[in-house]
Amino acid sequence: MVGKNRYFLYLVILNMLTNVIIFVPKYLIQYRFDGLILSMLLATVIGIGLMYLDTIVYARFPGQGLPEILDLGLNKPLKIFVLVGFSFFWFIAGLISLLGYIDILHRIINPELSKVWLLVAFLVVLGFVIQLPTRKVMYLLEIILLLNVPFIGFVFIKALTSDYLNWDSIFEVVTHAATVPKLNPVAIASYVFSGYANIIVFNRLLKEKIKSINFVIIFFVSLLTLFTSVFIPIGMHGSDGVQEYIYPWIMTADSLRLPYSPVERVVFLFLMLYINITLISVSVHWHVAFELMKGVYKSKKSKTNNRLLMAFFFGLSILAVLRFDFMHPELISMYWLIARFFVEIIAIIGFFFFLRRKI
Amino acid sequence: MASNQVQSIQDSIKEQFQKSDDVVFKELHTNEKYLEVFYIKTICDEAQMQTYLIKPFYEIISARGFLHYLQSHPKIAQYESKQNTVNEVIQGAAVLFYQENIFLLDTKADKNNSVIDTTVETTILGPQSGFSESLPTNIGLIRNRYPALSLMIESMKVGTISNTSVNLLYDSEKVDLDTVKKVKEFLSSIKIEMFQSGEQLLDFTKKNQRSLFPTLMVTERPDRSAVNLAAGKVIVLVAGSPFAVIMPTVMKDLMASMADIYQTFWIGKFLLLLRYLALVTTITLPGLYVALTSYNPEVFRVQLALSVAGSRHAVPYPSFIEVFLMLIMMELLLEASIRLPKAIGPTATTVGGLILGQAATAAGLVSNIMIIIVSLGAISNFVIPINTFSFAVRISKYFILALSIFFGLVGVIIGLFMLIAYMVSQDSFGKPFLTLKEEN
Repeated sequence: MVGKNRYFLYLVILNMLTNVIIFVPKYLIQYRFDGLILSMLLATVIGIGLMYLDTIVYARFPGQGLPEILDLGLNKPLKIFVLVGFSFFWFIAGLISLLGYIDILHRIINPELSKVWLLVAFLVVLGFVIQLPTRKVMYLLEIILLLNVPFIGFVFIKALTSDYLNWDSIFEVVTHAATVPKLNPVAIASYVFSGYANIIVFNRLLKEKIKSINFVIIFFVSLLTLFTSVFIPIGMHGSDGVQEYIYPWIMTADSLRLPYSPVERVVFLFLMLYINITLISVSVHWHVAFELMKGVYKSKKSKTNNRLLMAFFFGLSILAVLRFDFMHPELISMYWLIARFFVEIIAIIGFFFFLRRKI
Repeated sequence: MASNQVQSIQDSIKEQFQKSDDVVFKELHTNEKYLEVFYIKTICDEAQMQTYLIKPFYEIISARGFLHYLQSHPKIAQYESKQNTVNEVIQGAAVLFYQENIFLLDTKADKNNSVIDTTVETTILGPQSGFSESLPTNIGLIRNRYPALSLMIESMKVGTISNTSVNLLYDSEKVDLDTVKKVKEFLSSIKIEMFQSGEQLLDFTKKNQRSLFPTLMVTERPDRSAVNLAAGKVIVLVAGSPFAVIMPTVMKDLMASMADIYQTFWIGKFLLLLRYLALVTTITLPGLYVALTSYNPEVFRVQLALSVAGSRHAVPYPSFIEVFLMLIMMELLLEASIRLPKAIGPTATTVGGLILGQAATAAGLVSNIMIIIVSLGAISNFVIPINTFSFAVRISKYFILALSIFFGLVGVIIGLFMLIAYMVSQDSFGKPFLTLKEEN
């Protein structure tokens, strides 16, 4: 039914899963009395609209990523500017989820272990994965999703059916549904859809036009994701108490209990699953960043350049993990989430007019 | 051919073969005709020589008639070149000098052609016999099981001294021709003096790519070879080896046992699931033990965490030393029981398994739970049906263990991820080693 386009579906679903650790629920919850519900609905419309436009653009170039498309005809400085700009953007996207997750692990599982060491362990894996061919990254993504999503679904269902989920708190928030939506929550909520943006490199694998059934699936799954990721914490911690947490979802998982399992606290299961999701999410983003940069220099000396690039990625990450200790990691991610929304719109409009006309 | 030319060829061939005891040069005479035969008797089937050559020589009276016989018999070939003749003789053919002609009679002795019972990949149901050590017999076994016109057999030679015959078998309708090309390139790229068995190829894929997991499968089962032919794979048979090599081989082939298709659907699926469970168990268990006792005991519920800690109370060193101690002991036991003669083998397991295990716990060197973990890990490892893969898995658990020592539970998960990523990154003759769904 979904066919080879399942690859597109995976990219979108991956972002839906990562939203929990990239502080999306936290910010959305701040607006729970200020037009959250309408904002989320609006974000759904905008998100799917952008997604559709982007797939139309790239359907014109079956089997080609942005570096290959730009090679067809664009003056060189502009090409380099576009590639480097996007690459940097994707690198930051990966970095924010990586740092966010390292922080979670440091706080909850390994407080004795220094963050830098933890990061180095992640970086070794990432360094191996991002330089694989695009096809292989996708195979890995497919396998990791298959192995983890059933268990994540189990945690979600466990939370939904929990006795401690207070539906009254949820209804309390729903009574504010008629409030006018705001720009910030729309921008933040649209993150859930932005997995499609990875198509700029992963279009290499998409050889057919994406069938509309994919958008229908995405529509329902994304609505479900958005609403559960916001309303389950609200129901668990109460409509007032929920704002106290930096990681509402981790705390929600920690309030769940598996009475008959050897691992009693769900939070450990949840965190273990999300290590994989974070790793593959950062891999996908950084793979895109890496491939875009590779589009800038080609042929000669590319092996040394690849290594330099990798060293740059890693150096920046380690620097970031050292510095971010003194700041609020969640604030940076909020600015980034909002900025991402606008950049995405501009980029797609650019793609839409530019790629059609020029090439 | 002029007679002096024949004479010079004859002399130079004779000269090239040093005076070994088993080199035979014989002249046959009747009143009408005269024949010279040259061969090495130890690798020649002299019974065949008797029926195809000596009997007709004395039964066909006329010289012309015997020439016709030689020219039309399918086992007798015309002379091609001196080098070819020498090669054939050293592999068991006989050279015939008759009048002004030189012929080659194929009398290669087909030794060790009895079919051996399977010992490495055993199944309860299904065929019980494996390959023999003779190449023609093995091809016959496969042809019997795979009577299709599209079955192609190509011959190659590998090894500078051994000059071993290697046959490539594939179904020309089902195989990916790109794969065949890659396999041929791989075989001709091998630089080796003595090529004796397909298992040596494993070593060569490793030297090229330093891979941990085998990307070709060595099997002793003709039925597995036939099934794989139908699945579009290339089979390589090596003269003198009772093992076939199947290329390309991906992860799911390595986890499949022939028992799966000789069972009902659900039993087959259950067995497959069991095998994957065993794979995960054997890889992660030692690492998990270290992570959960030394790093994150809070993951377990309190009762379980306490009973694990209680079991360890007599052990005077950290958990990772305990694990290393036991794992190394188990590896030594495994190696010892493979190398020992069959008669002493059971003694080694008794001494090692029962006495050492029991004594080590009693002495307070390792905990009881550790013994369970090590033996469970070892047993799970034996569940993996393909031997070469099971060895690779045996090594990969140390990788996870090392990560768990430094990063605890997080290390185990990262290690598993890395292992999967590594498997995904591998290729076997153009086919991805690990994917969910193969693309065309």
